Amino acid sequence: MKITDILNEKVVRVNLPGASKAEIINAMIDLAGAQEKVLDKQKMREAILEREKIMSTGVGSGFAIPHGKTDAVADIIGAFAVTAQPIDYQSLDEQPVRIIFLLVGKDNMVGPHIKLLSRISRLMNKEEFRNRLIEAKSSQEILDIFRQEEATYFEV
Amino acid sequence: MVGIEYILLIGSALILLSVTIAKLSDNFGVPVLLLFLSVGMLAGSEGPGGIYFDDARLASSVGVIALLFILFGGGLDTNWPRVRPVLGKAASLSTLGVLLTALAIGILVHLALDTSLIAGLLLGAIISSTDAAAVFSVLGSKQVSLRGNLKPLLELESGSNDPMAVFLTIGLIELITIPETTVVRLIALFCLQMGIGALLGLSLGRAMVYLLNKVRFSYEGFYPVFALACVAFIFALTSVLQGSGFLAVYLAGIVVGNSEFVQKKSLFRFVDGLAWLGQICMFLTLGLLVFPSQLVPVIGIGLVVSAFLMFVARPLGVFLALSLTDMTVKEKVFVSWVGLRGAVPIILATFPLTARLPDAGILFNLVFFIVLTSALFQGWSIPLVAKFLGVATPALPKRQFPLEFAAPIDSNTELMDFIVPYHAAVVGKSVVEIGLPPGCLVVLLSRGDEYIVPSGGTTLEESDTLLILVKKAELAAVREIFTKQREHEDVPKESK
Repeated sequence: MKITDILNEKVVRVNLPGASKAEIINAMIDLAGAQEKVLDKQKMREAILEREKIMSTGVGSGFAIPHGKTDAVADIIGAFAVTAQPIDYQSLDEQPVRIIFLLVGKDNMVGPHIKLLSRISRLMNKEEFRNRLIEAKSSQEILDIFRQEEATYFEV
Repeated sequence: MVGIEYILLIGSALILLSVTIAKLSDNFGVPVLLLFLSVGMLAGSEGPGGIYFDDARLASSVGVIALLFILFGGGLDTNWPRVRPVLGKAASLSTLGVLLTALAIGILVHLALDTSLIAGLLLGAIISSTDAAAVFSVLGSKQVSLRGNLKPLLELESGSNDPMAVFLTIGLIELITIPETTVVRLIALFCLQMGIGALLGLSLGRAMVYLLNKVRFSYEGFYPVFALACVAFIFALTSVLQGSGFLAVYLAGIVVGNSEFVQKKSLFRFVDGLAWLGQICMFLTLGLLVFPSQLVPVIGIGLVVSAFLMFVARPLGVFLALSLTDMTVKEKVFVSWVGLRGAVPIILATFPLTARLPDAGILFNLVFFIVLTSALFQGWSIPLVAKFLGVATPALPKRQFPLEFAAPIDSNTELMDFIVPYHAAVVGKSVVEIGLPPGCLVVLLSRGDEYIVPSGGTTLEESDTLLILVKKAELAAVREIFTKQREHEDVPKESK
């Protein structure tokens, strides 16, 4: 499964408003939660916050990947945003976060879930890629960047 | 007397046939219970099988025992946090809704067919509850995916309304056979039965969990044996104490299913198997019990009552029972349509037979016919109706992935994912070197696009995603390992 399979213009945002970690996570959930595949937004929120408690998903270099597994979604869903301002996300390297990817997997589909987690966090570990995302002006532009990068980086 | 080997031969052959034929349900969307029924009917005295069977009492006992495990299994699968928001609605549907449906049918049958009101009400009561097995199998299939709380609501309703229908049926039979019974006495009896049923179900369910955790059985095989006996015991004790045994078993199932205990997974599997065996045996027996030629005379009345049930009585019950809720008209229409009848009405229809009521035979055939039409007509059309009313979400084709397991292995261990942070201290170290606490195990590693089954020597890279079996008590220690950043790092290293 590709990252671009789970993203579309409706779940991608530039300049996501919000000042705190909680606000940003909630904004991401609202962004992703409007999709039909989300059966129960509240339950999805619980799964994400539960996972966040285990260990911060701010994996470093200004990127965070809040995620969770739950039966409240009909299939793997995602959302992506660049925040309007740097957020104190209690990241492991203590750097503020600008780039957020939300990923919610279906309860017992462990395989594709962790595969996407590693694919996304691997892409985001490249500074040049992150900068291009931060500078993007529209969600369409972000989707294009993802599509390009995914095509060159991974055999699909 | 037929030798045991012949009984076993016939019984096992029929079960094998049923299990195999169930595949057709996947391919053609025929409700699986209809297939089992057809096998029973074909094997019966009027089909090619030619087995003569008219023991209503035996069929009724098989039905009751099977129902116990179906209800207990339904309770086990009920996810409490998920159904809690719909508790009020479901309770209203399975009490008020059932009562109204039964009343509406009773009045129609009384007026249209020139029977006594009480006989009409008896028919209404028998077909008043929706069937848990049928609803679970239709909603659980891959063809339907519902939005919002509809699925938990429908499942909870179907699991919890049988006790009400059982009560109404038995109450009405009492009214007919024991002249001094009064309606007031019945209402008092109802409260008593449900009260005792709820109380015993909840407390005995707790006790069962406590014992499962406390008693270390000498053999693993004893756990399912223990559970089997518990279910029968809960039903029997509650019934002996004048409570509703069916309600008790269902509630005990919910309590057990939502608790943590040893051997949970194997117990689930065992009860699931039993519930299926129960369903198959029950439908086979009921299929054997019916004489298809006797269904022919009731087709006319059957169609009328069936249509009235689907289009008037059930919607009436649903709309009134849900009138104070925030549900949309479309959702209520859909709930009305998922009024699948199944085994319970047929089992209940054997009660008048065993009580030797006049016309019980006609009643049984009528009920049988109504269940057939409901299962066929409604069961088949539910995916379409869901789409038409806009209450469905797109169902996605199931894909095969290398890994599909449920998270908790036992109650102390959990499968968790950890992403190796970009500047983590563990990067470049091998799995052995990072020093996971005892009892924790790296099960799988995903790197970019590859799965790696890690060995102790596998070296970790930034953004590797690990699936780790973590002892809950050691969670903090594991977190510590991954949280730690590399020291003295001025320029974060980028992976290229």
